[in-house]
Amino acid sequence: MSNDDDEVQQPPVLKASVNDVRHFASLLRGVNFVNRATVTIAKTGFVVIVEEARTLLGTAYIFANTFDEYTYHSETPPAPQNSQDSDGDEDDNSAFEIPLNTLIECLNIFGTAGSSGSGAGAGNATSKYKKWKRPGEDSEPEGDDDDRGWRSSNGGSGARGIDQYFGNTEKGTGMRMSYAGSGFPLTLLIAEDAAGPTTTCEITTYEAEPHLQLPFESDQTVLKIILKSSWLRDALSELDPSCDKLTIIGNPPPPIVNGKQRQQPRAPPMLRIQAAGTFGSTEMDYPNDRDVLETFECTRHVSFSYRFGHISRTLRALQSSAKTSLRIDDEGLLSLQFLMPSPKSKTEGGADAFIEFRCLALDDELV
Amino acid sequence: MRFRASIENLQKKCIIKFSEDVMCIICNSEANEGGIQVWSQIKVDSLFTSYRIQSNASNIITMALSSEALLATLKSASTLLQLAKKNDQAVLSFEISGMTRQGRKVRVAHDVRIEVMKPADVANLKEPMCPEPDVHIILPPLQKIRPIVERLRPMSDFLAVRANSNGRLQLSIRTDTVNVDTEWKNCKNPNKDPEPDLPDPDELFSVLVSTKSFFKFLNSHVVSTTTIACICQNHCMILYVYVGDLADAGGVLTFYIPGQLIDE
Repeated sequence: MSNDDDEVQQPPVLKASVNDVRHFASLLRGVNFVNRATVTIAKTGFVVIVEEARTLLGTAYIFANTFDEYTYHSETPPAPQNSQDSDGDEDDNSAFEIPLNTLIECLNIFGTAGSSGSGAGAGNATSKYKKWKRPGEDSEPEGDDDDRGWRSSNGGSGARGIDQYFGNTEKGTGMRMSYAGSGFPLTLLIAEDAAGPTTTCEITTYEAEPHLQLPFESDQTVLKIILKSSWLRDALSELDPSCDKLTIIGNPPPPIVNGKQRQQPRAPPMLRIQAAGTFGSTEMDYPNDRDVLETFECTRHVSFSYRFGHISRTLRALQSSAKTSLRIDDEGLLSLQFLMPSPKSKTEGGADAFIEFRCLALDDELV
Repeated sequence: MRFRASIENLQKKCIIKFSEDVMCIICNSEANEGGIQVWSQIKVDSLFTSYRIQSNASNIITMALSSEALLATLKSASTLLQLAKKNDQAVLSFEISGMTRQGRKVRVAHDVRIEVMKPADVANLKEPMCPEPDVHIILPPLQKIRPIVERLRPMSDFLAVRANSNGRLQLSIRTDTVNVDTEWKNCKNPNKDPEPDLPDPDELFSVLVSTKSFFKFLNSHVVSTTTIACICQNHCMILYVYVGDLADAGGVLTFYIPGQLIDE
């Protein structure tokens, strides 16, 4: 078969595997606000890019050591060393487009990739009619005979976290991924355990179209903040979804005099997040506290607005992240980088992945 | 009354046939997409503690009713059911004794309208004709299959089910976007008479069914202890869901799922 010949001459572009598919699936979910994603595979790792409305760019950087096994072979034969281009290696990658929803659904084929709230699905619709208690029976509803009863009775957003612990914690679902090259599908082999079923998925890949580029000028940064994701998450979740505009305002920190930062009365807050919508507006001020704003750099007064709908796309990634870096350049381009901690400890070689969102500012705010 | 969950939402109308020792529930309204049919036979001993039936038609009473109405009453802790005539209308009357939260006894009566079927119509009720199946296989636990088919359902309208006599079962979908194959390698095949000229046991027999119909069948996971799937290559699939012990045969729900033919 010609396939075998190809294998001998050209090894697959990518062969990667994970013992537990949950972390990988949650990274993909973080950027799954659009179905079509561009995937770029290189020696260093797996990058997933999505864009929306030519304004918002989401990128998930999944480094090679997030996987338990990762082997990359370049598709193109090695080019002769270019004296000018010493980092030709970095440009060497394979890119394709893939339906991201399908990829995530396939990873979750056994229902073990930890998606939020889908466990409580079809189950048993017992709440529709009230059950009469038989005399002598205790008040517990008739238990389901499988674990999913746990999930359906645990409904509500608070249970999502609990699900993680009561769901499939003994063994993760393993996944092996391979990509033979352009024109070939992305093949996934998923298995729960040796005794159980195995699933093979072949997902059609398409030619990668050039995607939106939003280069961030690091030397033009006017605002740079590093804070714990939980603070930003709490703030954004408080906002009413009917808001349409989100404004980020930064003010330089008060000057340090005699080794101490003088607290000026009624000084403008270092960081203020303002949201405005049809129902009113909200203002959230962040204190000048190292515990909250771990790093804060601001050269001048900064104020840029963004469409709230775009910012809320970042919430899913924000939920699972530990730290956030927020940067704005002088053109108002916002860069949010979320650190996604790896379940593997550093000693096991696990690298943290990160997801970055870049969003263009609304024009009318540029003064 | 757990078997009701498996018939739940299957069809709008169903037929119940009460006889002296068995109760049959039949769902065969053709209006259903994918054409799944359910024929089940349950021993009355496993359902009712006391049972009395009397009719001119050799103690068999067949009735048609709306399954939604029946389910609504069965969701309560029902205890007594009887066939009655209220206001010139035949009804199946359910009397439920329960307790309110305060501990007071309460009795609720539900009346489900039924249509007692004429003997001529009853004679027309026939199980679908099927050829001898090509392969018999015992399915893995239905609650394990269910989440997988739930994921496959939005991806494709058709699902291919394949099995062989060596314990291999495959569920596959083929679409433009994705191909998915899920395989179990260690299923059991029920004992058959060993035939010397048995065709290759590794040969896979397949049938293409509507994913929605198969998923509806999987809802009977709440009652099944053992399920045997029989595949007639490219024709249909018959599934015997045993309620209770296999040997005891407290009841069997028989699902007929027709095969789909699509032009390649």
